[in-house]
Amino acid sequence: MISIEDLTVRFDGQDILTDINLTIETGKWTCLVGPNGAGKTTLLKTLLGVYQYSGSIKDKGFEVYQNQERNVAFVPQHPHIPTGMTVMEYVMLGRAKKDGWGRETRVGRDFVAQVLTQTQLFGMQHRFVAQLSGGEMQRALIARALAQEPNLILLDEPTSALDLHHQISVLNNIEILKEHGVTILSTMHDITLAAMYAENIVVMLDGRVTLAGSASNVIHSPELRKAFDDRINVYTLDGGRPVIMANKDYLSERERPQTEV
Amino acid sequence: MISQSAPSIGRMWSWKITASSIVILLFVALLAISFGPVEIGFPKILRTLLGLPGAATGQERTLLLDLRLPRVLLAALVGAALATSGAVYQTVFRNPLADPYLLGTAAGAGLGATLAFTVVAGDVYALLPIFSFVGGILAVLTSFFISGRFQAEPNTLLLSGIAVGSFATAIQTYLQQRNSNALRPVYSWILGELTAASWQVVGWSSFYIVFSLAVLIFISKKLDGLMLSDEESFSLGINPQQLRIIAVAAATLATATAVSASGLIGFVGIVVPHLVRGLTHRVTNRSLTAIAFAGASFLVLADLGARTLLSPAELPIGVITAFVGAPFFLFVLRAKRLAN
Repeated sequence: MISIEDLTVRFDGQDILTDINLTIETGKWTCLVGPNGAGKTTLLKTLLGVYQYSGSIKDKGFEVYQNQERNVAFVPQHPHIPTGMTVMEYVMLGRAKKDGWGRETRVGRDFVAQVLTQTQLFGMQHRFVAQLSGGEMQRALIARALAQEPNLILLDEPTSALDLHHQISVLNNIEILKEHGVTILSTMHDITLAAMYAENIVVMLDGRVTLAGSASNVIHSPELRKAFDDRINVYTLDGGRPVIMANKDYLSERERPQTEV
Repeated sequence: MISQSAPSIGRMWSWKITASSIVILLFVALLAISFGPVEIGFPKILRTLLGLPGAATGQERTLLLDLRLPRVLLAALVGAALATSGAVYQTVFRNPLADPYLLGTAAGAGLGATLAFTVVAGDVYALLPIFSFVGGILAVLTSFFISGRFQAEPNTLLLSGIAVGSFATAIQTYLQQRNSNALRPVYSWILGELTAASWQVVGWSSFYIVFSLAVLIFISKKLDGLMLSDEESFSLGINPQQLRIIAVAAATLATATAVSASGLIGFVGIVVPHLVRGLTHRVTNRSLTAIAFAGASFLVLADLGARTLLSPAELPIGVITAFVGAPFFLFVLRAKRLAN
């Protein structure tokens, strides 16, 4: 369990995250949703331990800042794609924490082979990562995270820039982690997909958490609509599955054409 | 069912590449010691070096031990320093065309050398290495300082390095304009020269170069992590900012030493890492040791060319490396597979 208390993150005198109190359940998938600039990515990176903060974030009782004792996998939205590195080498980087940098163990290699098969990358391991398509690159990132055998995986928009087929394939790959008791925390623009995969949803707006709870409760709450400026509508399919769509006709005060008197 | 046995993936580390690069260096070095106005046979060189009977005597012995051997050793040291630093800079700055002179080392050292020629009254050549060494290090420290202490993003550091370099070059040009008698020696120093090679130069430069290369090779496996974003490398167990500073500091020390021992020898830092990477199909960091030995071989060969092509006259070694390097540079730019 990760417990966040009175968390504030500040860059250049400006609060990016304000007074966040939140509990993230172990072994569950929690999804952060909210409009652009709400602070989702910042919260993710703060939980990784790279940003300074006031308040406390305790992962199994230990503060997370610069804590290298934990084994946390991070899947960025915009990865730096290394030149001249093969898929195999890239995924093997995930073993660094377990096996040591540059050390190849038999167990590690077998594990990576298994992960490559699982992410449908087996057979591509000698290709350069720089030559992969968007969907393949995303799978390589997930594969590296899986190779890490993490306790917590943080994913920043894992499905943006992917077509529907690849979105589902990537999300299914992530879901497998839950079977191993891994805690999953992701940001996602597509709330319908978030509701489909995550157990818990956290709604963020302007650096604050406005609502957190089980996916079904959050989806049908008016707070969710408020976070998106009333621009979304929630529909329920026959099977009870929620679908969230943008409200095409809605115009905010600013966008409304000014009529001269 | 697809076979998933581990060996089918292929090993990523290999001692064979390193071993063959050592063998090549030994052969090239022997060749360079052997050739010159007076040719000395391989057996005689080996007997002299190993102190066996039938060794060279008199003038031949002096030529071998006091002229050619230190010169070949210095070429090897400088080549190893420049090639390894180039490879490390390319990783740290995530730029395949990064050069070891990038952070202002070259311009700073150039300014230091110009100052030595214009200000020092006595024995310029004794103080030249100190002036250029201090100039190079100061320029890099300034780059770091301007770009926001030591926490800089690689691109910010790169840009401030370029700015500091231009500033140092401007002062250097001004000084040269004011002291036209310094033009010729500064110019020949900028083209690079190994003519000043002596056991003394080999002694002090090997101290710094071997030390910094040892540091770089020690951290080389972790350098892969710097090819990722800082958050990713942190999650893999690295402190990216700390590692970047160690890498840049060691690479800069090696480069500054090489520059003060032999002037500005261009292109080694770009050509050799790409060549080794192209031949071995490996991430640069995986073959840092091989790159060091390949760089040494490259410069020993280039120096052999500089000494013998227009014999008895001597070409500046920078002309040879640029002659090979510039077309190669264009080739790298064109061949996307290498540059990518």
